[in-house]
Amino acid sequence: MKRMGFSTLLSGLGVLLLLATSCGPAPAAAPTKPAAAPAAPAQGAAAAPPAQSQPASSALQQLIEGAKSEPVLKAQWSSSSFGGGPGLNEIVADMNKKYGLNVQAQFTPGRDMQALMELLAQENAAGQPASTDVYLGNAPAMVDALRTGVLRTIDWKAILDRPIPADPAFDPYAPDGTAVAFGTTLVGIAYNTNLVRGDDVPRRMEDPLAPKWKGKIASTPYAAGMREFAMPDMLGRDYILDYTKRLSQQVGGLIRCGENERLTSGEFAMLVFACGGNDVAELKGRGAPIDYAIVQEATVLHMRYGAVPKNSSAPNAATLLVAYLLSPEGQELLWKLDGMDLPLFPESHLRDQVDQVKNAGGKVAYNSPQWLLSSPGFTEQQQELEKILRENAR
Amino acid sequence: MQATLRVPRPLVGRLPTVSPLLLVAVAPVAIILLFVGVLFWVSIQRGTIGTASATYTLENYTALFGDPFVLRVVLNTAIFAATATLVSLAIGLPIAWLAERTTLPGKAALYAVMTLGLLIPGIYTAMGWTFIAHPRIGLLNQWLMGAFGLTEAPIDIATPVGMGFIQGLSLASLGFVLTVQMFRAMNPSLEEASQVHGMGFATTMRRITLPLAKPGIMAAVIYIVTIGVATFDIPAIIGLGNRVYMLSTYIYVKANPSGAGTPEHGITATAGVFMIVVAVALTLWYGQVLRQGHRYQVVTGKGYRPTPIKLGRWAIGAWGFIALYALASKVLPFLLLAYVAFTPYLAAPSAEMLSQLSTAQFQRIDWALVLRGLRNTTLLMLVVPLAVLLFGFCISWLIVRSRTRARYLLEFVAFLPHALPEVILAIGALLMALFVVRGWLPLYGSVWLIAIVYIVARLAFATRALNSSLLQIHRELEEAAFAAGLSTARTAWRIMLPLLRPTLLSVWIWTALLVYRELTVAVFLSSQDSITLPAVVWSYWFSGNRNMAAAVTLIMTVVLVPLIGIFWWYGRRSQVTTQ
Repeated sequence: MKRMGFSTLLSGLGVLLLLATSCGPAPAAAPTKPAAAPAAPAQGAAAAPPAQSQPASSALQQLIEGAKSEPVLKAQWSSSSFGGGPGLNEIVADMNKKYGLNVQAQFTPGRDMQALMELLAQENAAGQPASTDVYLGNAPAMVDALRTGVLRTIDWKAILDRPIPADPAFDPYAPDGTAVAFGTTLVGIAYNTNLVRGDDVPRRMEDPLAPKWKGKIASTPYAAGMREFAMPDMLGRDYILDYTKRLSQQVGGLIRCGENERLTSGEFAMLVFACGGNDVAELKGRGAPIDYAIVQEATVLHMRYGAVPKNSSAPNAATLLVAYLLSPEGQELLWKLDGMDLPLFPESHLRDQVDQVKNAGGKVAYNSPQWLLSSPGFTEQQQELEKILRENAR
Repeated sequence: MQATLRVPRPLVGRLPTVSPLLLVAVAPVAIILLFVGVLFWVSIQRGTIGTASATYTLENYTALFGDPFVLRVVLNTAIFAATATLVSLAIGLPIAWLAERTTLPGKAALYAVMTLGLLIPGIYTAMGWTFIAHPRIGLLNQWLMGAFGLTEAPIDIATPVGMGFIQGLSLASLGFVLTVQMFRAMNPSLEEASQVHGMGFATTMRRITLPLAKPGIMAAVIYIVTIGVATFDIPAIIGLGNRVYMLSTYIYVKANPSGAGTPEHGITATAGVFMIVVAVALTLWYGQVLRQGHRYQVVTGKGYRPTPIKLGRWAIGAWGFIALYALASKVLPFLLLAYVAFTPYLAAPSAEMLSQLSTAQFQRIDWALVLRGLRNTTLLMLVVPLAVLLFGFCISWLIVRSRTRARYLLEFVAFLPHALPEVILAIGALLMALFVVRGWLPLYGSVWLIAIVYIVARLAFATRALNSSLLQIHRELEEAAFAAGLSTARTAWRIMLPLLRPTLLSVWIWTALLVYRELTVAVFLSSQDSITLPAVVWSYWFSGNRNMAAAVTLIMTVVLVPLIGIFWWYGRRSQVTTQ
């Protein structure tokens, strides 16, 4: 061939590019398929009596052995949750130290908790590896997980290095052992202290509905707080539906729980309701004009659960990470990273705060999947509240 | 297809009837058709796609078009798109004309000003303008209320018109890029003749310049309107939080619901099918313009020698206009970006906040994540522009130089991705990777999936620019080459490529920059191993870490400025060489 024509050259390049684009190697770290089940304790029933569980040391040892062949633990959640990437690095470093492992953490910030659970369900249905090897999320996401069957069943009691103290009001294990609670925050109202002062600080549910706040307050697109307050044993559906309609007339915008900087900037005076005061405390520590109030009528302990997706690529390391979070050192680190722990433990920093709220006479509920599922139509009710908040739009 | 897609007319009878360019052009077209097919397939299903629970039905169509809320969304979108188009062309068109057709002193700097515009992501233009014109925290509103004793803020950016204005500022760079080539290639002899015959500047502009520019302007209008309909970032940042919904954010909410419920891919896909119908209408309109293109061919082999118009003292006014635009769309947002990156928390500028500036946010950044994002973004910036140029050139050549009706199909398919919100393309790609090609092509979670969508999404931009340039290169140049015995390939290489080089470089630069700042697709398709830098910024932004988002964006901007300089210098040098 004496010379290559321009068109031929372009065609050749095109074919090469197509090949490179469509048939190129997958990223080195990308697993081709989900790993097998965890070495030992997974698939067990959480409700099984302790006598039927394997001895903790044996079950743990099998997990540790399994985790030694899992070099990378991928995790995904909001970068403002659990200390984000640096937080995960600290957790995994401590976990490695505790269990004698050398797992590397890889963090990627992700969607909100329920949206991430939907992604996991989609990936599981399509036979793809999970976007996150370990899932840390809230109770409504656990309800979604039970519907889609995306999480592994694990005998958590067999692998924790101490039992979680019993509380008649709360079972920390999700149905079928799909998850275990490791921390909580208290639902309340976040507010800008430059704009909301003195007697204006909200103390009751109705306070944000005062005419002076019209158009100046925000709520969440997922009706945080209100979806739980509407439960029969809290403030009830009728009151909360009416309340949400009135609140919707007051609301100037919808923001997510992590977007407290839109309060510090003065764009909004309050967030009614916020998922917890932990990130408010972090901002306050940086000198931001922000604070947090829990209304007298009620609050919800917004529980956080740890779980392992069925299509996790590192199920042993993922299970160990959740187990580590429930150890004394794990709880202390979680408090340091994100201002939360599990108030069932005696050393809990939140325990006194929870007791104060309980003693104040307001209604307090542990937000668990069991509790949410006890009210038929919880999901539809949440959708109704979201629609009211969303569609009262311009 | 073989019978309809032919090589250029002068070669008919001498070569086989199928151009080798078709082999290249057909690949992205097939991908686009696959995306469209997936969208249609999903739009007629309810239940979880790809499982036994999915059933075929038209319920998505009745649900979408029976919802009065959707009507309000469509109206908002129309107002927003019209405002954005008007503002972007009101700024971009005069600056393009000043850059190419006048003696404006220092006009070379215009390219830098307009190129840098793309470096400021829409989220920061939105954020900057939040501090300027927000009813409660906007400095301008506070000043106006104080100066005139008003009890309420006179300006509200959280409206379709307000957001359209900000989007228009953001798109003015694109308006410039879409029209500058047209002014560069326009033969000024008709304008000179007009002036010789005693017509003034305004009359010449109205009767000669603008009619000559009509195809290019119409193409830009169509292009920007469709961007306005499909745009996501500014409506997401300002609109979502204030409950003002556009089509793109409505689709986003349906596909990615917060809280209860599952993603409504069926509704999303149905909205995508609706957008395809809009694309058909716009493409037919564009086709009308294209068919009349021969009336506007003014670059010929004879006497192509642009003569700039002397501005005189009007140059001061021109630079004032440009400076105002740069201040509003670039300088203020960038200053806000830098300010936010160095503040301990987000708050309106004040003396107190300025006294607290520090580098603390940079120390909080997750550098492993940033480096992963940088690696993927760099890869995309290298691969995507090359592929876009390759496919774009082949498609444009066939569209402009072929005589058959099949070129309208190519034109339509190449234009289609532009009319679809990137949210739709991303979902189409996601569903394709998850449910269609998963058995034989491991695209899910791969950076190559993002690359494919970027290539497809940028194809319309490339073909628009290349179409305009090819239209203005008269066939007589090729005919002369053929008469001299040159083959198609050598004609393309020796005649077309040098003439097209400025356009090719321009498309290269802008594609790379658009890839660099592209957010929507990245947000939907980024995974552990394919996250891009803009997706890192977005994740910080949406997690409430706006300061860290600003810090990463600032680093991105600083790193890219030298690259922009190199691209720009090379582009100008290439242009001079070509001329």
